Amino acid sequence: MPAGLNRALLTVIGAVIAIVLAIAISSVAITAAGASPLAALGAFFDFGSSPRTVANGIATFLNRAVPLFIAGLAVAVGFRMNLFNIGVEGQYRLAAIVAAYVGSTFTAPAPIQIAVIIVVAAAVGGLYALIPAIMKVTRGVNEVIATIMLNYVAINLASYLVRGPFSGQRAEGALNTTTPELPESAMFPNLNFIFDWFGQPEPTRGGGVWGFLIAAVVLGVLVWAVLERTRFGFEIKASGLNGPAAAASGVNPKKMIIAAMVLSGAIAGLISLPELLGDKGAYTSTFTAGLGFLGIAVALLGRNKPVGIAFAALLFAFLDRAQGALQFADVPASVITIIQGMIVLLVVVANEVTNRFALRLEERRAAQQLGRNAPVEVAA
Amino acid sequence: MSADTLATAKPAVELEGITKRFPGVVANHDIRITVRPGTVHAIVGENGAGKSTLMKILYGMQKPDEGTIKVDGAEVSFRTPSDAIGVGIGMVHQHFMLADNLTVLENIVLGAEPKKLGLLDTAAARTRITELAQTHGLRVDPDRLVEDLGVGDRQRVEILKVLYRGARILILDEPTAVLVPQEVEELFQNLRELKSDGLTVIFISHKLDEVLGIADAITVIRRGTTVASVNPADVTARQLAELMVGSELPTPETRESTVTDRVALTVAGVTMEADGHRPAANDATYLDRLRAEGARLLLDDVSFEIHEGEILGIAGVEGNGQSELIEAIMGIRPAHGSVELGGRDISGWSTLKRRESGIGYIPEDRHRQGLLLEASLWENRVLGHQTRSPARRGIWVNRRAARADTQRIVKDYDVRTPSVDTLALALSGGNQQKLIVGREMSGEPKLLIAAHPTRGVDVGAQAAIWDHLREARAAGLAVLLISADLDELIGLSDSLRVIYRGRLVAALDPSDITPERLGGYMTGAIAGTEES
Repeated sequence: MPAGLNRALLTVIGAVIAIVLAIAISSVAITAAGASPLAALGAFFDFGSSPRTVANGIATFLNRAVPLFIAGLAVAVGFRMNLFNIGVEGQYRLAAIVAAYVGSTFTAPAPIQIAVIIVVAAAVGGLYALIPAIMKVTRGVNEVIATIMLNYVAINLASYLVRGPFSGQRAEGALNTTTPELPESAMFPNLNFIFDWFGQPEPTRGGGVWGFLIAAVVLGVLVWAVLERTRFGFEIKASGLNGPAAAASGVNPKKMIIAAMVLSGAIAGLISLPELLGDKGAYTSTFTAGLGFLGIAVALLGRNKPVGIAFAALLFAFLDRAQGALQFADVPASVITIIQGMIVLLVVVANEVTNRFALRLEERRAAQQLGRNAPVEVAA
Repeated sequence: MSADTLATAKPAVELEGITKRFPGVVANHDIRITVRPGTVHAIVGENGAGKSTLMKILYGMQKPDEGTIKVDGAEVSFRTPSDAIGVGIGMVHQHFMLADNLTVLENIVLGAEPKKLGLLDTAAARTRITELAQTHGLRVDPDRLVEDLGVGDRQRVEILKVLYRGARILILDEPTAVLVPQEVEELFQNLRELKSDGLTVIFISHKLDEVLGIADAITVIRRGTTVASVNPADVTARQLAELMVGSELPTPETRESTVTDRVALTVAGVTMEADGHRPAANDATYLDRLRAEGARLLLDDVSFEIHEGEILGIAGVEGNGQSELIEAIMGIRPAHGSVELGGRDISGWSTLKRRESGIGYIPEDRHRQGLLLEASLWENRVLGHQTRSPARRGIWVNRRAARADTQRIVKDYDVRTPSVDTLALALSGGNQQKLIVGREMSGEPKLLIAAHPTRGVDVGAQAAIWDHLREARAAGLAVLLISADLDELIGLSDSLRVIYRGRLVAALDPSDITPERLGGYMTGAIAGTEES
């Protein structure tokens, strides 16, 4: 078996064991909360009785997965070189409001309108991530601290902007503050037609299946190509695996920190766009929060690889979708958070274990193929 | 381990047949050491000979696979360092483990605080520390902040910390590496006092003159095993050096000279400060001032030339500025002075540009600077060549070409590996090194910096690497060879320089020098310059 496949298989086995264990442990918590674990498990797969509710359930599931996927990608770019961009949360919130506002100030044909919004969002996210990067390379400020602090700045800045300079017309009797509506040309076409192919009713909730799903897939492929195939991706990988070796090989560590942080921030800037362009059409004070933090868990779960992150995002979204179904089944919805937490915790452990195991295996295989089972050679 | 040693007193520490294996290598093999109580026992050996692994075993940081440890005659088995501390073994690490923002007193008691009503009993701690300091002649001020202390003082704090925990056997790992000569003398005075108080000191070093000055017994470690136990009165530094390096290796002889008159590398007045580089408008006056102030310089006015087809060997006891010299030429660490490659001043260039313009580098520590252990061989081939053909195609990594070229290296350099997709960590040290040599010889380098190119590799790989260096030299490559293996240096080099405390102190002709005489220059025992 090729070494790469071997490693991938081990990873999958590790992840499956972790997920099964997480469900087992969560069952204990569910029982303790006085509910039935079986009912909870059933609720996760209960998408409703009518075709319409099933369609809506699937739409909610996919719509949740898309931003989680993008958030996971953003975090993974930093993780790849041991940079902990905890600031994804702040970067996407700030990017969301600026992009929503800029997009509402003009009207252009749809492709241009949407392209401008995407570029603005990426630029704002990237620039905001540039701040901790510069602090790190010039003054050695730990990026974890800097990004956490900048999250508070961004979140409060966003709430100020939505109420102040960027606020739009508030509907009669509405309590939410919001940015001005985006023009119709800014709205991403939805993918509801897919349901028609299967003769199913289209989803009606939350704008249906957001078309940004396609953009996210393209983004995933792009990020994969950059990380796995380009020189830049190689330099990120080398810096992450062995900093001194990368430096001795002519990779400038400071440039890499700045480039990786900015790229991470630029991707983070896109997190809000599925919701903004697919459903809301404006940044409101009730915009989905917490995606940046969830992105950290998704990236960990997906082992910083785009394909893994896609699966992780789908799993998290699948669990999140069951909010309503769990309540109908008399199970507290916070069970989801417990399961997600357990999965992340156990997957981190499983990753460490399978990684060591895979490396050991590789060593042994090489030794065997070379026919020296007991290599005796001195080094330190 | 003669009968009369056992008869007079039980040895403080006795190691019998200690063997420790790591995947793919044996770091220690059948180590036997007997340390008499109340003595300073030195353990010497080159870097990589297995000294640190041995000390980790003795201090409970690693478990031996085979062998026994006896302390004061009783067999012990350590699982953690606290077990070792429990039987009275303490370790003073090479890199101090002190909290800068705490006082001396706080640092000493940290982790073993005397308590009164759940609070730190400062008075009791102070009494105990003063008492310890006085009996052993270790003067410290318990109330000063550690960050205000000099290196020598910090070391005394470390020693006190160990004594405070009741250690009777002290392990000192390269204690003089960070000290200036006066501080070394002071340390030795302290050690003599400790000895006269009945404590046992195990002193690890590769600085032979110092070892001879302080030790009561010396054990030499080479290639993971104890090769000799000698009495310092009976040996000279040269004999010790021979024991450390060994002479059973094949001799690396270069045949006729291929030195041309074209200069490949010129290093002029390279100087590096110990505590951070400060750019200066006028290097000369700035550095003169530094020297006048007595600042520690890692490199002091190093100048030399290497011609095409020449191997210039730098001899020196490790830690005398070799690594810094490499880092200055590679542009990894800033330094004063100028470096010219093929007539072009490259002093201001980035590491990448220097590499692109034809500097190859075989690093002294291949795991730290040479390899991505958790990446495949072909990715390791790309490392350092990521901006050049065949590894690069526009913004992409040319995977196919890189794989093919790795295949070439595997074939030409006899790298034993299942495939080019194997992870680098699965290869033995010798094969990893051959891959690095192959990589650094790729892309027609003009200058090759080879730091300990055959360290930790088996004899077969060693001979192969020497052959490759000779061939490249014949083809007009300039090589800067840094090695601790004196036979290698003398055998391969066309000319030799000796580095001692950051300065080039001698220029020698390898054709009429013996390892013994070279050892004399390296330890500073022979001073003066001989023209090559």
